[in-house]
Amino acid sequence: MRPNRTEPHSLVGPYVLDAVTPEDRARFERHLSTCSACATEVDELRRVTAGLAAAVASPVPDGLIAQVVRSAAATPQLTATAARFAWATKTAAVLAVVLMAVTAGAGFFAVRADHQLTVTQFREHQIAEVLNAPDAIMKTVRARSAGTVTVVVSRRERALVFTTEGLPRLPAGHCYQLWLVGPAGERSANMLPPSRNGMTSPVVAAGLTQGDWASLTVEPAGGSEQPTTAPILMLSLAG
Amino acid sequence: MRQLARAADVVGQVGGDDPEVLLGRVARGDEAAFEALCNAVAGMVLGIARAVLRDSFQAEEVCQEVLLELWRSACGFKQGQGNAMAWVATIAHRRAIDRVRSERRAADREQRAASHGIDYDQVAESVEIRLDRERVRRCLGSLTELQRESVILAYYGGHTFREVAELLGVPEGTVKTRMRDGLIRLRDCMGAE
Repeated sequence: MRPNRTEPHSLVGPYVLDAVTPEDRARFERHLSTCSACATEVDELRRVTAGLAAAVASPVPDGLIAQVVRSAAATPQLTATAARFAWATKTAAVLAVVLMAVTAGAGFFAVRADHQLTVTQFREHQIAEVLNAPDAIMKTVRARSAGTVTVVVSRRERALVFTTEGLPRLPAGHCYQLWLVGPAGERSANMLPPSRNGMTSPVVAAGLTQGDWASLTVEPAGGSEQPTTAPILMLSLAG
Repeated sequence: MRQLARAADVVGQVGGDDPEVLLGRVARGDEAAFEALCNAVAGMVLGIARAVLRDSFQAEEVCQEVLLELWRSACGFKQGQGNAMAWVATIAHRRAIDRVRSERRAADREQRAASHGIDYDQVAESVEIRLDRERVRRCLGSLTELQRESVILAYYGGHTFREVAELLGVPEGTVKTRMRDGLIRLRDCMGAE
């Protein structure tokens, strides 16, 4: 027995200082979940590290906060369940890229005031679930006509989030329809909303099955039961 | 609960807005509260990112990511449990640490450096310059040398306790203990003044 080396609680100092590997952290957090005294100690010592952080506080450049606040207006918030995963995953990076796609051309964090997307427009919950999935991957492709499409796919959530930029404007009475195509057949996944400033806000396609592709067609307003035109996009969703 | 009041003082809540209350409002989508929260915490977030990354540009990127993360994950903060500034500091520190460690791995891969190229003196010096909170400086000064070096290399230097042990040439078990002892002594020192 080498208690100092093997006893999980000996990691409390390194844990609070983030001086641990992900494996150490997981091990200590398992210990933490069964030890309320340890949780109290961690809380107390965290105040110390917050003091260490505050001690090196530095002036914030002009405009940084304003930019973040503008970005927040276009960023869905996580639900309580989803938030639990958020710390550990690289969600923020994925989300940032999607946002970049959504706000394409405006650059990272530079959401233009004239097309701020509200949280509700995002159908926040479903979207957050996909973006927050640990297995989420992102793909960007050019559509056959013009414009680009960005999707984030999670097999675990069996869903994808779909955004576009620069697709050709359609004549009145027509719209873009998103399909899932695969061994399970051809299913309508969603209608794309009208574009604003050349971009469509994210839509979710749920019910993804193995081997599915995403395809996009132009359909009469209201959508069709089956595609009636040739797809302007076929996108493999395989990892 | 002396510690509680003191800790709030130590971490320097800015203005009349209590970050804990603000976080609760942010969790409900209140954008004005989010702006107030950013004003209250951005300096600390940016400061810790700068200390760890030692690169202003990257630090600002990390700062923006962290602030946006607060917006997204505000509902993950449990009201009444733990201190809001400590929660924010933890998120900020982890993000900065993740970035600096992945860069070191990349550097290792490219064999740019045989070691991490960071020694205690470098870290201590860069921290010393920015440590403008007199109390924290004084409290760090009250630690034993090994405690202080362990805490500084870990927190501001972004090193794991194993790396710290290697850098200081002491056993891992000793470093773990010194880190905890050092934090406890800091807690008592910060709370007592």
